[in-house]
Amino acid sequence: MNWIGLYTMFRREVERTMRVVIQTLVAPVVSAALYLFIFGTVIGAKIDDFAGVPYITFVFPGVLMLSIINASFASASSALYFMRFTRGLEEILIAPFSYFEMLLGFVGSAVTRALMVAFLILAVGMVFGAVSLVNPLGFVFYVAAIASIFAMLGIIVALWAEGFEQLQALNTFVITPLTYLGGIFYSITMLPPLAAQITVLNPFFYFADGIRSSMIGYSEANTMIGLVVIVGLVLVLALTVTHLFKIGWKIRS
Amino acid sequence: MLEIKNLTKVYGTGKTQKLAVDGINLTVERGAFYGLLGPNGAGKSTTIHCITGIAQPTSGQILVDGVDVVTDYKSARTKVGLSPQEFNVDIFATPAQLMNYMGGYYSIPAAERKVRIEELIKRFDLEQHRNVKFQKLSGGLKRRAMLGRALVHTPDLLILDEPTAGVDVEQRRDLWAYLKELNEAGKTIILTSHYLEEIQYLCRDIAIINHGKIVAEGTKEEFMKDGKSIEERYLEITRADDKKNSV
Repeated sequence: MNWIGLYTMFRREVERTMRVVIQTLVAPVVSAALYLFIFGTVIGAKIDDFAGVPYITFVFPGVLMLSIINASFASASSALYFMRFTRGLEEILIAPFSYFEMLLGFVGSAVTRALMVAFLILAVGMVFGAVSLVNPLGFVFYVAAIASIFAMLGIIVALWAEGFEQLQALNTFVITPLTYLGGIFYSITMLPPLAAQITVLNPFFYFADGIRSSMIGYSEANTMIGLVVIVGLVLVLALTVTHLFKIGWKIRS
Repeated sequence: MLEIKNLTKVYGTGKTQKLAVDGINLTVERGAFYGLLGPNGAGKSTTIHCITGIAQPTSGQILVDGVDVVTDYKSARTKVGLSPQEFNVDIFATPAQLMNYMGGYYSIPAAERKVRIEELIKRFDLEQHRNVKFQKLSGGLKRRAMLGRALVHTPDLLILDEPTAGVDVEQRRDLWAYLKELNEAGKTIILTSHYLEEIQYLCRDIAIINHGKIVAEGTKEEFMKDGKSIEERYLEITRADDKKNSV
């Protein structure tokens, strides 16, 4: 395993993140702080405790998940697309990385940035008194798995995209709607029966529920189904991306 | 050192299909200084891309030191350094960062990398520019940074695709001296260039690619045997081949 090479890829992404710190770290923290202020402090003050916790504590895991998804997807998609655009990717192609190491390098880099964002948002959440953590190991698992899923989706989009517009398409038309409809700001019990039945078909519901259950100990989804969905997506996407690197789809002429 | 056996590379599919390299066979001995000549689009860069892993051969085999670049690509890539024709870099990175990243990708430990980068920065006279973003460098400085990046992992085979394009005369001469020095120290070098006096000055063996095929191969002396310069011989060979292809 090319450990030094992988570490170099992670460190390079951290340096890239710090180079555009307003876009990569400040913006998500400001967005999260606004969500917490509006949904937690302003609206949340008018809402009774939910699932035994204040509303702000109930919504915080969803706000955190939203930021993790955005950070990992944006990191992987923009880094790889930019490298394709400038042909800087050739540095990776000529280096002694296996296809699986390329996967680990890109995903690990994106997860690194997502974790940087997550730590900052946890700090903001603490300021708002919104952070609770009943299962730290479960929390780490869900955060890492969800960040990995969206990093791999970001890689696929970066390989597929032929322009910046396409790079944004999946985020705008799939990720954002499914995230908001996945119960990050509300409980499934608040929905009409048909909407609740549709929601359980949304994988984002299991992502939000997993993080929420590890933070506040309240779950509305079948944990086993959630684990199968999450682990299954990680495996399928990892195999897909490794295969795409192996055949050199859109990166090796 | 390098064996290319019946290499074919086809780009695209169906009506957009283009045969870029057509059954090339080439052997470059260890310690050679080998010139690869040809007009634009003849197949030089495609061949180089197939050797380095930027492109996938359609058929044929490439061995670097006996190691197959497709089936044992990880091992093969440690043996090759590339300074490509186009600036395939993160334009916001500095020369020192580019060398450091590349050294890291090649698994060179940080302490060893640091020493190596200092040597290269000094050798290519980049001290004043080591922390300047690549996009702010002049053409000559960019070329030197690319060479430093190609050499950071001390490859056995160094491939230089138009390494002196945009470099002024003085710096070009300095670079020639360095390449000679490297070759005399045992490094195998493959050079492509449109400056044929560069090929004549540096290379001992030469091949000409035209329309994806090797149309001439031999020692520099063989090319120049009638008292002709490499440039005159090159034009004679490529024009004759173009004429043959147009019939």
